[in-house]
Amino acid sequence: MLEQLRQQLRSLEKPAGIGDGPGVLPFGIAAIDETLGGGLMRGALHEIAAASEAHLAAATGFALRLAARMHARLVWLVEDMALAESGAPYGPGLDAFGLAPERLLTVNVAHVRDLLWAMEEVLRCRAVGAVIGEVRGSTVGTVALRRLSLAAAESGALALLLRASPADEASTAATRWVVGAAPHDCLTAQLVRNRRGPAGSWILQWSDSDERFILAHAQPVAAPALDRPYRQIARQVA
Amino acid sequence: MHGRSREISAPLAVYGKRGNVELIVAINEAAERLGLSTGLALAQARAMHPALQAVVEDAVADATLLENIADWCLRYTPLVAVDAPDGLTLDITGCAHLYGGEDALAADLAARLEQAGVAYSIAIAGTIGAAWAASHFIKPARYVCGDERGLLAPLPLAALRLAPEIVSSLARVGLKRIGDIADLPRAPLTARFGADLVRQLDRALGREHEPLNPRLPVAPYVVEQRFAEPIAREDDVLRTIARLAARLQFALERRGDGARRLELTLFRTDGEVRRIAVGCSRPLRDPAQIRALFVERLAALADALDPGFGFDMARLSVLVAESCPPEQIGIDGSEDVAEVDRLVDRLSARLGARRVRRLIAQDSHIPEIAAAAVPTQAALAATADNGWPAYRHDAAAAELAPRPLRLLTRPEPIEALAEVPDGPPLRFRWRRALHEVITAEGPERIESAWWSEHGGPARDYFRVEDKSGLRFWLFRAGLYRNLAQGAAAPTWFLHGTFA
Repeated sequence: MLEQLRQQLRSLEKPAGIGDGPGVLPFGIAAIDETLGGGLMRGALHEIAAASEAHLAAATGFALRLAARMHARLVWLVEDMALAESGAPYGPGLDAFGLAPERLLTVNVAHVRDLLWAMEEVLRCRAVGAVIGEVRGSTVGTVALRRLSLAAAESGALALLLRASPADEASTAATRWVVGAAPHDCLTAQLVRNRRGPAGSWILQWSDSDERFILAHAQPVAAPALDRPYRQIARQVA
Repeated sequence: MHGRSREISAPLAVYGKRGNVELIVAINEAAERLGLSTGLALAQARAMHPALQAVVEDAVADATLLENIADWCLRYTPLVAVDAPDGLTLDITGCAHLYGGEDALAADLAARLEQAGVAYSIAIAGTIGAAWAASHFIKPARYVCGDERGLLAPLPLAALRLAPEIVSSLARVGLKRIGDIADLPRAPLTARFGADLVRQLDRALGREHEPLNPRLPVAPYVVEQRFAEPIAREDDVLRTIARLAARLQFALERRGDGARRLELTLFRTDGEVRRIAVGCSRPLRDPAQIRALFVERLAALADALDPGFGFDMARLSVLVAESCPPEQIGIDGSEDVAEVDRLVDRLSARLGARRVRRLIAQDSHIPEIAAAAVPTQAALAATADNGWPAYRHDAAAAELAPRPLRLLTRPEPIEALAEVPDGPPLRFRWRRALHEVITAEGPERIESAWWSEHGGPARDYFRVEDKSGLRFWLFRAGLYRNLAQGAAAPTWFLHGTFA
């Protein structure tokens, strides 16, 4: 009896987002995949924040590219305010983007509370491959983030929290990105938090022919530090 | 049923303007005792009783009250018609036995109306016309059935619901009671007084059928439950839903139907009626799923389900039914589709159907009309075609310039400075931030809806990138070269953003 409870406790204590995940989505860029330990983890929560509100479209694009990789239904949840401020997803644009609009279900909510509820509900649906929840400045709350992480881990789907600006609240997300637009149709992707390895920063470009991101010619001066000791520890945990 | 008044000891009259005169339209018992009556001019009544309190009528509130009472009468029968301004017609055919007969039903109705403080007059008859006449012209109203003729014969002709002109012209030739005309030859009557007279007579006597226009559409499937002890807790309500849904499933299966739209009607002991509807994106008859939808719907109610002193009756009706073939399992991903449908239903029930949408393409070259987000539940029902294959075909043929990822709900005006009059902007200011344009693609000319008056000028779209790499979709409405011909100055707008 006691042993049973201990086991239960251990499984509850296991940090969400780390552990026996259902696999990863490789970027196809060696530098990034190595940093992420193989690729972006499925069945986990990832936070993608726009560098500032003006860069939201770039961050949206990044999130959609990742979500589109799941080859299943896609649900985009967004607050009413965000729709009015930043515009609604536009079908012809998505189509040109390589994401068939038929795959997308949009849900607009009046309040971030509804958004979090709906996001969990979506994660419970087996037929959905990825869910994007877009929140404006408001804080989501540690408990809600943890719930989302657990729901994602249970479902195996990709849960993406898209923020209009970088947040500083503590989070159980597997990775946290800050994405901005860069000249010449590029975007900057900063990995500011990574539970399975070090942080990093890249300038990416979408390649239509390869249907994946490639590194743009100009790269940030400082390369990511790959010899951090905690990376090994994270690997062992994984 | 007729009239409304509350027991207030002081004499009170409600007046309204009829033509150019302010007439009393309703009075309370105290005013009645003073010898006043409806139809009296207000000035005259005030002259008789200077202390008379008079308030102006509120037709809207009256109509709302009548509708509320009509909803509440749904407990007796689904066929309730509003007979404005102060009557209700209930078709109780086949329902009376639930209350132990017609007299018992009328007594129950009377007791409840009495409790609610509504003045009433109830009559039951074989035809709508006879019941109307009895409730308006016989005091105290009698319950008569079968002998419509005997009932109507002594009543004045106005009891036939005739226009006042017809009644007065009949009076001029000495015809005052229904009995006077019941056996007269029909052709001369029609020739002299119009077809209306004979029709109303026939309807009242049951020689011709009179249709009833129920206020609410009659649901194809209805199950209900009465409670000896009123229920108040949400748990009990949900348990009742599950029980009713199980009975519904039986009825639906027998006819091979499924529910597309369901309504729960809760009757509160004090006469309030609460109606809660949920929609489903595919025909449904599984009680567990029906219950789950109501769980979400109840959780999302803006005002909590206020039971007051409890609900004494619950009814679950299928408002829209659709044929529902037996489940097919295992055909390419149909299980996945069903999963998504269930998700859509849950989200729609909680958040509202118009918040859960999918994107469809529409046949238009105007960007904001070319694509639309429509409620998923409605879209699934209407058509499986979402327009995208056709859109792709056309887009490939027309070689459209790129479209933005996010489109603003309406184009926002910007201050832009262009180098050449009809060229791309050099810099522009949007939401107080200045953007220096580095590269621009365009223009893509999109003609307005020239056939429509509100089409506006043609638009020239540009895709521009600013110094920090932000990419925008701008357009200029109008051309500078048209300025000479007296057109309005072109204006710039920002319409969307690219990833």
